[in-house]
Amino acid sequence: MILTSLALVLLAVLGAPLFAIIGAGALLGFSRAEVDLTAVPIEIYGIAETPILLAIPLFTFAGYVLSESRAAARLVRLSAALIGWLPGGLAMVAVATCSLFTAFTGGSGVTIIAIGALLFPALIQAGYGERFTLGLVTSSGSLGLLFAPSLPLIIYGIIAEVSIDSLFVAGVVPGILMMLALAAFCLWRNRENRRPLADFSWREVRAAVRESIWELPLPIVVLGGIYSGYFAVSEAAAVTVVYVLVVELLIYREVPWNRLTAIVRDSMVLVGGILLILGISLASTNYMIDAQVPQKLIELVTRYISSQTSFLLLLICFLLLIGCILHIFSALVLVVPLMLPVAAQYGVDPVHLGIIFVATMELGYLLPPIGLNLYISSYRFNRPVLDVCLATVPFILILFGAVLLITFVPSLSLMFVKQ
Amino acid sequence: MPEGDAPGRAERLGRQFENTLLAVVLFLMIGIAASQVFLRSVLGSGLSWADEALRLLVLWAAMLGAIAASRDNVHLRIDLLSRFLPAGWRRVSAALVDLFAAGVSAVLAWQSWRFVSESREFGDLVLGTLPAWAFQAILPAAFILITYRYLAGLPRHFRPRRAAVERDTA
Repeated sequence: MILTSLALVLLAVLGAPLFAIIGAGALLGFSRAEVDLTAVPIEIYGIAETPILLAIPLFTFAGYVLSESRAAARLVRLSAALIGWLPGGLAMVAVATCSLFTAFTGGSGVTIIAIGALLFPALIQAGYGERFTLGLVTSSGSLGLLFAPSLPLIIYGIIAEVSIDSLFVAGVVPGILMMLALAAFCLWRNRENRRPLADFSWREVRAAVRESIWELPLPIVVLGGIYSGYFAVSEAAAVTVVYVLVVELLIYREVPWNRLTAIVRDSMVLVGGILLILGISLASTNYMIDAQVPQKLIELVTRYISSQTSFLLLLICFLLLIGCILHIFSALVLVVPLMLPVAAQYGVDPVHLGIIFVATMELGYLLPPIGLNLYISSYRFNRPVLDVCLATVPFILILFGAVLLITFVPSLSLMFVKQ
Repeated sequence: MPEGDAPGRAERLGRQFENTLLAVVLFLMIGIAASQVFLRSVLGSGLSWADEALRLLVLWAAMLGAIAASRDNVHLRIDLLSRFLPAGWRRVSAALVDLFAAGVSAVLAWQSWRFVSESREFGDLVLGTLPAWAFQAILPAAFILITYRYLAGLPRHFRPRRAAVERDTA
C-alpha cells in the first residue's frame, strides 16, 4: 500500500499525467477492496450527471474568445480614463483590470499576456520602477479568482457540494480586500512618484465608453444576473458565450472566423484536461471514503492539533506548499475531498473553506517552482524567472497578509451568505 | 509535418476530425443552452430533453477534449523532477511515464468497455428512447485513443534525431 503510493508519487513528480496517477490509485484501491472496476468508468460517466458542469466549457470558451479580441485594451483605456487621474492611478488600473479580466477568463494565465503586456510599458513610462512593475503585473495576474464567474470557485462548489451562488457571494469581500491590499501597497511604495497619469477628462471617458459600449453590459448582465439569482450559473455561462460571440465576431470583428476552430480546440483541451481528472477523482474519492481515509486523517490531525486557529494555520501552510507544486485545478480535485471532512471537524464552514482555498491558491500562482504566473511573466517580458520571483516577493507578502485576514475573520466571507 | 507522407497526412486528418467534432459538440451545447435561457426567461417554458442532452454533450466535450489534450501532450501534470535529470535519464523517465499512462488508459478503456456492454445488455435509455450505450461509447473510445497516443509517442523518446532527419529529407 505504502510502496504503491510512493511509486505513484514518484511517477507524478517525473511528469506522469495526473489523470493516470489518480486513475491508477482508484483502480488499485477498488481492486484491493474487491469492488468491480467498472466503478471507475461509472464515476467518470458522472460527468454526464452533474448539470452545473455545463458552465465550465461555456465560460472557458467565452474567456478564450475574449482574450483573442482587443477587449483587454479597451478595458485598460476605460479604467485609465476613470481612475488614472488619481495619484498612483495607473497601478490601481492594473489591479482593477487584471481582477475583472481574470474572473472572466478563469485564471489560466491569459491575464498577464492580455493585460500585463499592455500595462508593463505604460507603467514604466509613467515612472514606476521596473522591478516594481514586474512584480505588480505578475501578481495581479491571478487576482480576481474570488469573483464570479471564476472557474476554481465553480469547481470547488462541485467537489464540496456547496452552493456555487453562496461561494460567489462569499468571495466578494475577500476579493475586494486582496485588491485593496495591493492597491494600497502600490500607493505607499510610490508615494514619491504620485504624478497622475493624466488629468481627468470627460472627453476621454466618453471616448473610452463609446469604444467599449458593446462590452460594458457583459459584466453587468453576468454579475448582476448571478449575484441577484436571476440566472443560474450555467445560464449565465450560456448568456456570456452568446454575448461574447456576437460582440467580438459580428460587431467588433476582431476575432476572425477562421481562428475559431483553433480557439475551440485550445479551450476544449483545457476543459477536457480538467473534467477528466475531475471525473476520475470522483472515483478515487469514493474509494478513499470507502477505505475511511478521511476518518484516519481526522484522527491523525486531531491527535496533534486541538484548536481551530492552529488547524487553520497548518492548513494555510499546507495549501501554500501544495500551491508550490500543483496547479489550482489539480489541487482542487486532489486536496478538497480530503480537506473538507477534517475542516468540518474543526468547525470551519465549507463556504469559508472554499474562499480560503482559492485565496491561498492565488498565491500558488506566484510561488516557485511551478507558479504559472512566474513563467508566463518571464516569457512575456523576457526577464529571467529568478528576477520575476524576487520582484514578486513584496507583493506575495502583502497578499499573504490578506489571506491571513480572510482565514481568521470568517465573517469577511460569510457576512452576506444566507445560511 | 512534411506534406504528403502517410503519417503526416493521418496526423493532419486526425487533428481536423477532432477539431470538427469539438466544434460541433460545443456549438450544439451553446445553441441548446442559449435556447433554454431564452425559452425560460421570455416564454416561461423549456425543452424537456434539453438538460439531459446538455449533460451528455458536456461528457462528449470533456472526453473529446481529453483526446485532443493527449495529442497535444498537455494533460495536467506535476513534473517537478524530470527537468533536473540528465538528458539520458530524462528520456528513460519520459518513456516510463508514457508507458505508465498508456497502461492506465488501457485498463480504463477495458473497464469502460465492460461498463458500456453491461449498459447495452441492460437496455438503458437516455433522452426517452435512445440507447444509452451509444452515448457512453465515448468513454472506451476516448481511452483507446489516449492509450494509442501514449504508445505511439514512445519511440520519439529513443530516436530523438530521426524525426529531425525525416523532416530534412522530406
